[in-house]
Amino acid sequence: MGALENVAARKAAEDIGFQFSAMACDCEVRIAGMSRRKAEPLAKLAIAEVQRIEAKFSRYRAASVVSRINAAAGSGRGVEVDAETAHLLDFAATLYASSDGLFDATSGTLRKAWDFKAGRLPEAAQIDALLPLVGWQHVRWRDGRIELPIAGMELDFGGFGKEYAADRAATLLQQQGLRYGMVNLGGDIRLVGPRPDGQPWGMGIQHPRDESRLLATLALGSGALATSGDYERCFDVDGVRYCHVLNPRTGWPVQAWRSVSVVAPACLAAGALTTVAMLKGDAALEFLAGQGVGYLAVDAAGHVHHHATDVVMA
Amino acid sequence: MKTRNIKKNTPRRACAPAPQRGTAGAIVLAALALPGVWLAPAHAQAPEKGVIAIKHLHYQDSQPGLKRITVNAPSVYVLAPIGSAWAVEGSLVVDSVSGATPRWQSAVSSASVQKEQRTAGDVKITRYFDRSSYAVGVSHSTENDYTSTALSLNGSWSTADNNTTWNIGVASSDDVIKPTSGAVNNPPGTQRKRSTELLLGLTQALSANDLVQVNFTLSSGEGFYSDPYKLLDERPDSRKQAAGLVRWNHHFDGDGSTLRSGYRYYRDSYGIKAHSVQFDWVKPVGPDLMLTPLVRYYSQNAARFYVAPELDANGQIVIPTAAPGGLNSGDHRLSSFGAVTVGLKADYQLTPDWSVDGKFEAYEQRGDWQLGGKGTKGLDPFKATFVQFGARYRF
Repeated sequence: MGALENVAARKAAEDIGFQFSAMACDCEVRIAGMSRRKAEPLAKLAIAEVQRIEAKFSRYRAASVVSRINAAAGSGRGVEVDAETAHLLDFAATLYASSDGLFDATSGTLRKAWDFKAGRLPEAAQIDALLPLVGWQHVRWRDGRIELPIAGMELDFGGFGKEYAADRAATLLQQQGLRYGMVNLGGDIRLVGPRPDGQPWGMGIQHPRDESRLLATLALGSGALATSGDYERCFDVDGVRYCHVLNPRTGWPVQAWRSVSVVAPACLAAGALTTVAMLKGDAALEFLAGQGVGYLAVDAAGHVHHHATDVVMA
Repeated sequence: MKTRNIKKNTPRRACAPAPQRGTAGAIVLAALALPGVWLAPAHAQAPEKGVIAIKHLHYQDSQPGLKRITVNAPSVYVLAPIGSAWAVEGSLVVDSVSGATPRWQSAVSSASVQKEQRTAGDVKITRYFDRSSYAVGVSHSTENDYTSTALSLNGSWSTADNNTTWNIGVASSDDVIKPTSGAVNNPPGTQRKRSTELLLGLTQALSANDLVQVNFTLSSGEGFYSDPYKLLDERPDSRKQAAGLVRWNHHFDGDGSTLRSGYRYYRDSYGIKAHSVQFDWVKPVGPDLMLTPLVRYYSQNAARFYVAPELDANGQIVIPTAAPGGLNSGDHRLSSFGAVTVGLKADYQLTPDWSVDGKFEAYEQRGDWQLGGKGTKGLDPFKATFVQFGARYRF
């Protein structure tokens, strides 16, 4: 038994990261407790799943389902979708209903007014012209057919597609028998399982105002962690931070939170909840508590709030 | 990068919240309900890969000083997905039985040697939908004096969150018994036995780590239940059986092990009531090896017509007197006894697609191990061992 455990311990010590690029992010499949020979085919499988989801749902790919739906906007024709797309559309509907309309999968069109690269404030008229095109309540989604009734309306799975891919890839690895490791898609992380010694991973949360520092570390052995922050795709004008999380009702960026990290069983839930929390303003923490998830949030003044997560401040 | 993962040894335990009903909000539940997002424990999904497995079982039972039945049973099992919504499963087993016939009582010393072969096969076709699956299966087994054919239908339905699954099954079997010349029991000639079984099951995920299952089965059969090769074996020509089973699987995040516990209650129209409890602990040892120790305790009272062995003052067997045509049997399986099984299974994953496994189980049955201490007296302990080796390939 002793020799057996030694072999096991040596093998378990291996911890291999497979880096790749997808969805405009640095991504990694991390496989632990398995030899490279066995890990490689698993990593390929997981990466292929992420690429499949990107190809299928990216609005930047002309052949994607989302592009087909957007191309038909205002034509009066519905687009028939497959079961997987239908599940995601149902999820988008749930997000809209459960966030009192704050998470809106049609709000992506507002990006036409907001150029975060140029760092220029848009004209109010530009936003006013786009707001009528935003609104999940206009979407006709029934019996496997979806129709965007107004020309110029756009559907965007950007708020949850990457998170969904992390979950799918991690579940696939679990189905293949992997017990230790994680899938990290640009900071949206879904664990396959803990470290090979059964201990949780130490997950770092980036400081929202200092890219070189960690704000905190939290211990995580299963489930998922996602973070949304005002420091990503943003610019400052006259001391005011304008970030990429846009309120679908006003068309303007949110300002109540510098960053929100959520720990949930699935990355899809964690990622969507970080965005909803950013949009919820003062009601964010109560909302997160109602969802039964752990969180770590930094408010506009830099104060840290956390709940039910095993946090060690850096 | 919004969140960075760093390798840092923290002494604390994992803290991810389990997706518990009641505490999880609508968004969390909706996310977990999406296919492929969560390894849904309660819901059967169409297999993505096929499996071919071969196994060899060696069974040996004994009573003190006498080795009795030996069974060698090679088997092959194939599971093949067809498209993304169908699967076909089939298995074939050949049992070679040799050795002495079971002693009527431990006090009888004659043992005629028998050698028999049984061939059994089954095929099941399952159609998987998003939240349900339906299966139809047939099975057939033959040996020189016994043929059995059975048909089964099964349906399984899961709730939208995949946390609850209902199962309903019906099965019907038709057995034909043609006792050979060695039969000592009347009536000779071809006999039949038909039975129908109903199953109702509920599987509920209580949390990400806890799965509970409750099953009820009812079966009713009519026909020839007696043992044609045993003197003084006259059983009722119908049997009704009912069983309730509760299982609880708990997964430990820390070491990745799973403790599977189960309790089963059984009663039938022979007057037998039985309880059994079982624990097996599926424990990963290193990345490739899975060890599963198991322990099971079983206890039953005797059938109403069971005749216990009696010895006279000289220790000689007394042939029990039974009214002609009256019910009686001396089959030790109908006596009042308790039994303990201990076992160990090992699974070794050679590559992601290849694995080998081995299993050893030791079984011992004694009258005085009966729950409540009212076991049949005068029966020798009955022991059996099972050794099985197998290999699996996924394609």
